Amino acid sequence: MKTLRTKIGGHYIDIQTEFDDVWKIINQYFSCVSIAGNQSDITITITNGYGVSFKDYEVAIEEKLNTITFKRADYFIEVDSEYKWANVAIHDELALKHALMNLYSSFIVYHNWGILLHSSCVINNDKAHIFTGPSGAGKSTAAKLSMPRELLSDEATILKITEESVIAFNSPFRSELKAKGSEKPTSLKSIQLLHQALSNQRIEVKRIEALMKLIDKVFYWSYKPEETKKIMSLLQLLVKQVPVYELHFQKNNTFWELMSS
Amino acid sequence: MTSYIQKGEYEVMEIDSEWVILNSHAYTVTTLNEVGGYCWKVIENKKTLAEIIEAVATHYSTESELIEADIQQFLNKLIDYGLVKQYAS
Repeated sequence: MKTLRTKIGGHYIDIQTEFDDVWKIINQYFSCVSIAGNQSDITITITNGYGVSFKDYEVAIEEKLNTITFKRADYFIEVDSEYKWANVAIHDELALKHALMNLYSSFIVYHNWGILLHSSCVINNDKAHIFTGPSGAGKSTAAKLSMPRELLSDEATILKITEESVIAFNSPFRSELKAKGSEKPTSLKSIQLLHQALSNQRIEVKRIEALMKLIDKVFYWSYKPEETKKIMSLLQLLVKQVPVYELHFQKNNTFWELMSS
Repeated sequence: MTSYIQKGEYEVMEIDSEWVILNSHAYTVTTLNEVGGYCWKVIENKKTLAEIIEAVATHYSTESELIEADIQQFLNKLIDYGLVKQYAS
């Protein structure tokens, strides 16, 4: 069994496997940190050869006495109810990525630490800015058009939310634009709801409306009402601290002229 | 006389004088404006329609007759959304 210690958001995570092909993939996605010193917050064991290839996003969740299980056609997760260890069985690389996003999202909500938001996140002048919207609205386009600015995510942004601050962390859950490794946790300054348009316009939305519009952007597989309440409270803290805008943008980098205000 | 009361067990959040009511069992979220939020607070305990109308009219310094239809409609909506119970007492 080989073990990789990585740090995602504020947590140390040990990922272990006996399978060489799985080992290769996790080394591509996750950067290694020293195993000495801190104890890991959760240990994940991954096995290969489960199920069939991707069918749909439907996840069946079952809460048992001491464990919770998440089952999709191409992956199966079993995690203990305190999120200290998890067994993950996967079919292929896509299943591995989605299973770990599912597990990580549930883990940070369990700890009331933060959320995983379906969005890209760009650093400008030491502040983080999120771009979100429905599929095809331009999340990754906005990220690409923002180059050479540093990116914290191009698909799933990791947000730590407290009463005092909202911090975006470098996300290992990426689709195309890989991390450089030097990205630092950065205070979140704004959230943009994207619409492609013929001219640029940026309008702040009321906070209650912002909250409603962000609910379906959270990556989350809910299995009990208490967890849904946690997400709502975290979103409430988020919109109280960070302004949310409708951003109508042309497909070029000129929208950044509106972003400094 | 008909009475109304919150069905209870909802998570309620206030943001900028507006309200979000989360029914975490049915996974529904309802937003209320300021007046709606005030009505919602009034029916924390069982109240008759006349009591609700009077409370709102007093709080917003208006005439009961002017708001009666609106309040009735508002309460019917909350009943439709499963947030309020109605008693015929």
